[in-house]
Amino acid sequence: MSPWIRILIYLAAAPIVGGLLAGWDRRISARMQSRRGPPIRQPFYDVQKLWSKQNIVVRRSQNFYILFFLLMVIFTGALFFGGSDLLLVIFALTLAAIFFVLGAYKASSPYSFIGAERELIQMMAYEPMILLTAIGMYMVTKSFAVNDIASHPTLLVLALPGIFLGFLYTLEIKFRKSPFDLSCSHHAHQELVRGITTEFSGRTLALIEIAHWYENVFLLGWVYLFFASMPVLGVAMSLLVFGFVILVDNVFARLKWQTAIRSAWVVAAVLGFGNILVLSLLSAKPAIPAAPAAAVTQPAASRTVPATAATPVLNNAKAIAQRN
Amino acid sequence: MSGFSKSPWIIHYDASSCNGCDIEVLACLTPIFDVERLGVVNTGNPKHADIFLVTGAVNEQSKDVIRNIYNQMPEPKVVVAVGICAASGGIFRECYNISGGVDSVIPVDVYVPGCAARPEAIVDGVVQALGVLEQKHQEMKAVPQNTDQTLYLRAEKSDAPEILGLQKTAGHCEAEIYNDENLPALQQTLEELQNDFDRAIYIKAVINDKIIGSVRGQASGETAYVSGVVVHPYYQRHDIGRQLVEEIEKAFPNAKRFEAFTGRPNARALHLLGRAGYQEFTTEPFTPAITWVYLQKERQ
Repeated sequence: MSPWIRILIYLAAAPIVGGLLAGWDRRISARMQSRRGPPIRQPFYDVQKLWSKQNIVVRRSQNFYILFFLLMVIFTGALFFGGSDLLLVIFALTLAAIFFVLGAYKASSPYSFIGAERELIQMMAYEPMILLTAIGMYMVTKSFAVNDIASHPTLLVLALPGIFLGFLYTLEIKFRKSPFDLSCSHHAHQELVRGITTEFSGRTLALIEIAHWYENVFLLGWVYLFFASMPVLGVAMSLLVFGFVILVDNVFARLKWQTAIRSAWVVAAVLGFGNILVLSLLSAKPAIPAAPAAAVTQPAASRTVPATAATPVLNNAKAIAQRN
Repeated sequence: MSGFSKSPWIIHYDASSCNGCDIEVLACLTPIFDVERLGVVNTGNPKHADIFLVTGAVNEQSKDVIRNIYNQMPEPKVVVAVGICAASGGIFRECYNISGGVDSVIPVDVYVPGCAARPEAIVDGVVQALGVLEQKHQEMKAVPQNTDQTLYLRAEKSDAPEILGLQKTAGHCEAEIYNDENLPALQQTLEELQNDFDRAIYIKAVINDKIIGSVRGQASGETAYVSGVVVHPYYQRHDIGRQLVEEIEKAFPNAKRFEAFTGRPNARALHLLGRAGYQEFTTEPFTPAITWVYLQKERQ
């Protein structure tokens, strides 16, 4: 399939899929709380309503920023599904989030200020892990292009289990779910009014919702990338991951931002960096003769080296990663 | 189909309730009643809300809060008074600090009786509010055509809070043009504005009981000074500003000459005054970025 067709499918299908996922989310959450819950199409009703509501603005330019937030999110997804460079995708994603933050800052209300600041903190928390994810995928496939990564013959998750778990952790932040729904939550938590979206109403709020749908589909697409060599498993795992995020959302209370950023960085360091360390040691195996390393680590054992040397080195790396 | 009847978002405020009704409102969200199946979301933010649920009678402290929340809600919006206290003041009606039900401050669309109101009654009230919401939406859709039905009235001192709110809303757009947050319109306090009513005449533009524009005029000898032309951003570009200027001129039958002033970068204000027949006669540099422009008009 040509990249342009994939982009067109993304542009057309992502709002529908994203909206249905959001509806599913509310439904499942309600069932987890032994309620009936709204219909699956509820998010579409919400957006339809917001579209015809009056749009109260503090400053007109705030809507401009939100429009760019939506455009950049769509651009990010289009780059991703078009098979472009993963690093470029990450930068576009960051830029989109920055536009959202700028919009909230522009509204000059203390509540949206706090929301914007918390959004920045969240970005600080997830950015390292997202970058490490891209690097990890590069180390396995030797390419940053989403096309090449998707057509890689092996199951990426087998080489990147740590990075996959770390990515899962950042997804909790990206989906704005408890315990990391600091800047604004989709559910009826009321503290800090509505965080980053406090000052947006009417159509602008509808645009934010639609942007989140696009963003969620893009993120689940990234989850799929871990299982790209087995498409059915990939789709199933994407949905499973989304279900897992909903479960966690309903199980956990909100954490403080300090905990969020610290834990996210620890996860990035241990799972993300540890995984990359292991990969680099594995891939370094043919280049460096393993004998000296084995000699240093096991000087007492007078084994004959070549065939088995790689394993102790790997075990050491794993031990180091775990200790970190 | 507009989606209003399927996605009512609620903001709940306790005016001075004993918490009986509040507990029943929250009971509606629990598994037994689960109003979310109707699409109801309990948002904490007036700017996202469609339905304003108020419990308890209105006292001096909650009066301003109710008005404030109401003014911040985007149209179309519906007010539901929950419980007998919110409906009429209930047993507190004659208290020295109670002004009565919620309708003594803001227009109420649906009354839910009961002490405390039962969750079934509250859900029923919300469902009735949906009908009102849908109807208001139809009316709102007609707004662009209805701006010629704007009423221009003399503003009273009691309009001061709403005019002040309007000045602040519109003032932010002006502050953005000037890139200066210290405009007089943004600095004025309620007291100053109320005192100003003794000196000057204010005309308000009203659509559906809501002030969407105002202008200030003050006479000095044979000259009347026109200032503070404010139109809600939502209703701008509908010729309301020019008509406000026209109305304030009528309020000074003895004036021979009218004077107004604005800043140079504010092209919209200059355009508006130009269309009302004002001509520039002098300018005065204020800051490097802003030049005050004085305009005048002789009475024909």
